[in-house]
Amino acid sequence: MTLEEAVPKQKEIREPNTHWYRLKEKLAPYPFIAPFFVAFLVFQLLPIAFSIYLSFAEWNGMGAIEFSGLKNFSVMFQDSKFWNALKITFYITAFCTIVGTAGATLLAVLLEKVEDWLASILRVFFFLPSVTSVVVIGYIWKQLYSSDYGFFNTLLMRLGLPSQQWLTDPKLALPALLVMLIWAGLGWDSLIITAGLRSIPDDLYDAGKVDGTNGWTEFWHITLPLLQPTLLFVLVTGVIFLWGIFAQPLILTGGGPLRHTQTIAMYLYDVGFRYHKFGYASAIAMVLSLIMFISSYLNFRFVRSEAEY
Amino acid sequence: MNRRRKTLGYGIGGFLFLFAMLYLFPYVWMTSMSFKPDAEIFSGKVFPEHPTLEQYQRLFQGYHFKDITLTIPYALYYKNTIIVTVISMALVLFFDAMAAYGFAKFNFRGKTILFWLMIGTMLLPVYTTLIPSFWLFSILKWINTYRALILPGVVDAYGIFLLKQYMETIPNELLDAAKVDGAGAFQRFWKIVVPLSRPAIATLAIFRFLFIWNDYLWPLVIIRDDTMYTLTLGIANMQLRQGMVVWGSQMAASVLATLPVLILVFVMQKQFLRGLTAGAFKA
Repeated sequence: MTLEEAVPKQKEIREPNTHWYRLKEKLAPYPFIAPFFVAFLVFQLLPIAFSIYLSFAEWNGMGAIEFSGLKNFSVMFQDSKFWNALKITFYITAFCTIVGTAGATLLAVLLEKVEDWLASILRVFFFLPSVTSVVVIGYIWKQLYSSDYGFFNTLLMRLGLPSQQWLTDPKLALPALLVMLIWAGLGWDSLIITAGLRSIPDDLYDAGKVDGTNGWTEFWHITLPLLQPTLLFVLVTGVIFLWGIFAQPLILTGGGPLRHTQTIAMYLYDVGFRYHKFGYASAIAMVLSLIMFISSYLNFRFVRSEAEY
Repeated sequence: MNRRRKTLGYGIGGFLFLFAMLYLFPYVWMTSMSFKPDAEIFSGKVFPEHPTLEQYQRLFQGYHFKDITLTIPYALYYKNTIIVTVISMALVLFFDAMAAYGFAKFNFRGKTILFWLMIGTMLLPVYTTLIPSFWLFSILKWINTYRALILPGVVDAYGIFLLKQYMETIPNELLDAAKVDGAGAFQRFWKIVVPLSRPAIATLAIFRFLFIWNDYLWPLVIIRDDTMYTLTLGIANMQLRQGMVVWGSQMAASVLATLPVLILVFVMQKQFLRGLTAGAFKA
């Protein structure tokens, strides 16, 4: 075949091709998005829509769904178990975000002062609970707290002190849970705060030294203000995580004694999967989502306005 | 001054090391309980006096108690967890990467709305979808199936977000050049975008592994049959068998379930910690 023969032929093929080619390029993104979109629709959007509808209805999971307007919400406002769960979850969230973030900040700041090789080993140690299953963590602590043969009581007896009913005493069960939660969350938070500390430029500290800062004023006037965005992130993620806390108290105490450690998520699960009141459970889920949304918003506003000073 | 700082550093280092030892005590307890014979379970001592593998053997050979044998299908739990984790990770990474590429490198109708919808649902708690999803799987008769364990986890807005951010840094010129050379959209994705996004994909893989391996809530809702239990469900249901407290075996089961995760964290430490903090800040 000569060159002259080949050239027009190529042109002939190209003409219809461009049109088709353009169409192909235009449609190209859809196959990439489609699998996600279908799954997103089926497992996320439709369930959410259905959940919103259910929160205004009564349903036992088998029979017909009966629309009941705001009844679920009015029942909820008079339900002392709901208010109790709300109160308990609020305590857990407030305590663990405040104490946990403060502890994690302290740990992160101290770790920065340690030689690198040691600090990197220690970081992994503190991080282990963050990658361990909450079921495993729950059962280890359950054994440590066990009233007859647990480690803590053995320790108390050795010291000649009376043993405690850690998980069944209404006064002690919640603090026992809080200790476990703080322990479990420390490494994660401090790791994120470490990343925040690293992003603070060194020359600010050098300038501070010229002005004669000591460790404390340096932390208070340089580190802390510049750490605001990181702390905001830790607070917001912490609040979302803690409002929804479920497995940890379920395994440690089962919500007891007498609902003293029952969180909203546990109550929601009970109402839905134990008593089969799916409408009411969905209404609780709506309130829980709203609370999470509002608390992250407030956190955001609060820390933002603080940062402006 | 410098010397004083260094001494202070050693002091803090020593203190933190002691604190870390105390902090890791629950892990020491877990391991030591798993090596204690039954007679020592309630001894209150931290370390076993006559260490034994009995508790581990029971996980696979069953519990002999007087003349009855109770089997714990632990190997089955392990198998279930591995199957679910592997398939789930393969699917989620592939779909995440595809969708992230779609969002990062194309313009299409409804892109912005879809993206914000995705981010919006990311903020909603899992409890909003729990009941409808359970209902959906029960009418499909998928309760107690791998499908039910795997499929809902395939929607991962966070992963798409993470990968999209990374893929946006891949220069468009590179993709345009490939386009001129006749590479189709999928070829550009598979031959250029995926290999270049490997660090982000690896980070995401670790995240997903940890999440799926340790998940408890969803299996708790969707699995009723103990031959379909995952490790977390299995361990949680070992609590009491016919009135016997199985503390030792439960801790042995916990050790074996935690081991792959700990190995992963130690081996991939650098990658993991870097990815974690980078991901945190982009979110």
